[in-house]
Amino acid sequence: MSARSLRCTAAAEWSRIWTVRSSWLLAGVTALVVLSISILVGLEAADDPAGVPADASAWDGGRPTAMFALFGVLALAVVASTADHGTGGIVPTLQWTPRRHLLLVARVGVIALTTSALGVLLVAGAGSVVWSLVPEIGLPARQGAEVLGGVAIVLAAGAVMAVGLGLLLRSTAGGLVSVSALVLVLPMLLAQLPYGWSQELATVMPGSGALFLVFGEGPSDDMTTTSARLTLAVWALGALLTGGARLLRGDADR
Amino acid sequence: MISVRGLTKQYGDVRAVDDLTFDVEPGKVTGFLGPNGAGKSTTMRMVLGLDRPTAGTATIAGRPYAALDAPLREVGALLDAGAVHPGRTGRAHLRIAARSNGIPLRRVEEVIGVVGLDPAARRRVRSYSLGMRQRLGIAGALLGDPPVLLFDEPVNGLDLDGVRWIRGLLRRFADEGRTVLVSSHLMSEMQLVADRLLVIGRGRMIADAAIDEVLHGLDGRRVRVRSPRVEELQAALAGRAETVRVADDEIEVRGLEVAAVGDAAHAARVPVHHLAEAEQSLEHAYLALTGDSVEHVGRLADTVAEVAR
Repeated sequence: MSARSLRCTAAAEWSRIWTVRSSWLLAGVTALVVLSISILVGLEAADDPAGVPADASAWDGGRPTAMFALFGVLALAVVASTADHGTGGIVPTLQWTPRRHLLLVARVGVIALTTSALGVLLVAGAGSVVWSLVPEIGLPARQGAEVLGGVAIVLAAGAVMAVGLGLLLRSTAGGLVSVSALVLVLPMLLAQLPYGWSQELATVMPGSGALFLVFGEGPSDDMTTTSARLTLAVWALGALLTGGARLLRGDADR
Repeated sequence: MISVRGLTKQYGDVRAVDDLTFDVEPGKVTGFLGPNGAGKSTTMRMVLGLDRPTAGTATIAGRPYAALDAPLREVGALLDAGAVHPGRTGRAHLRIAARSNGIPLRRVEEVIGVVGLDPAARRRVRSYSLGMRQRLGIAGALLGDPPVLLFDEPVNGLDLDGVRWIRGLLRRFADEGRTVLVSSHLMSEMQLVADRLLVIGRGRMIADAAIDEVLHGLDGRRVRVRSPRVEELQAALAGRAETVRVADDEIEVRGLEVAAVGDAAHAARVPVHHLAEAEQSLEHAYLALTGDSVEHVGRLADTVAEVAR
């Protein structure tokens, strides 16, 4: 795999994302939701300064938006990774880039980097919006790096998992349903069931890991930052390996 | 040069392509013919690395397609004109192709001009007619100015001008020394443009020959003779050629050249009012070759074959 080939394929992947309206629409809606929530959080804090904890910063106000950014990022990653199969575009894509491992690396890299960077920027923007509305609570750089670093890990792992599932399922609807189930529905549902096994299972769901890394809370007290990161990494890697194997070994669109 | 050796594709119990071996040489238009389901598209897909062969190899200039560094500069292909994201503009589609192979973006504008898509290039593909999608696909195939071209049913959806244009294009590419493989179900089209034919049925090779050989090689040349004394002419030709009465005053002679038939008539002192080689159409030859290889047969098929005879 030459650096030039990878650069060309990555450039094509970048163009592929941003030359369809659905990508701009998803990015725009995510930005709108994240920034709207940060405005609401900021206005509420400005209206009731006494209700704001003394050690809180604007990052604490921006942090809740990370979960909304995550859903936007996941949707964008699924749509970007399945569009080729949904439209038959995989045929010309593989004609242009027949080295499938090259396409896999470029596709996963570009989609995951692009979408997670977008999410981190939005969360950073959300913190800034809260700070602009409540300047007295501050926007400490060190906490910002900590919050955004954690968010970046969650978003990047989520994006890789979404791309992997997209490549595996080759269906936008299937990808969106699967990602929603793994990140939102199953962790909540399993945690609510009155069984030990279901609650244990809930802790190893990717949504639980994401929730813990963003808010420090999860379905079980046993969860740690390391276990949450490990959970996300295993899901991302598992999805990537299975989806990647299908792209590398299967026929183009069967 | 495209080289296919023992290419086989199995889908469960169905053998879509069965041990195909052929070469497609430069400087010629090679037609790829076969009934629906014969395995033409599957073969082309395997040549382009889109489908994995169950057995066998396909190489272009000695290398598998997947080993080519910048495939668009080596091979241009149009397999399915509809396989394009409908929400992308034609120009954006071509720009992505160019970027993926490091082709300068100015070449995109050139090929848009070559295929006559200038006014539509900024529109989204979902608004394109089938003919416009074909032109977009052909533009993609020409992007890298490649020496090898593969087209699967390129005249589908094109109007008469488009058909004439693609015919001229294929001819020009071959005359420039490029390797051109084109599949089509339009026999008349193949007859006009192809130099060589590959005919497959049920995934197997039925014929690999120059188009003249296909036309004349089935049961030899046929000569039509009109005479008021055809019985005497038939008697004179008996033992030398097979004759078939096609009208009261006309017979068809199989297995002899026109001159030999004329000489025989002269020797027998039989007056001749018409003597000519019977025009063989590729459609006749194709139906004769693929008659047993049609995958999907309706009751009309027999009627069509009968009418063609």
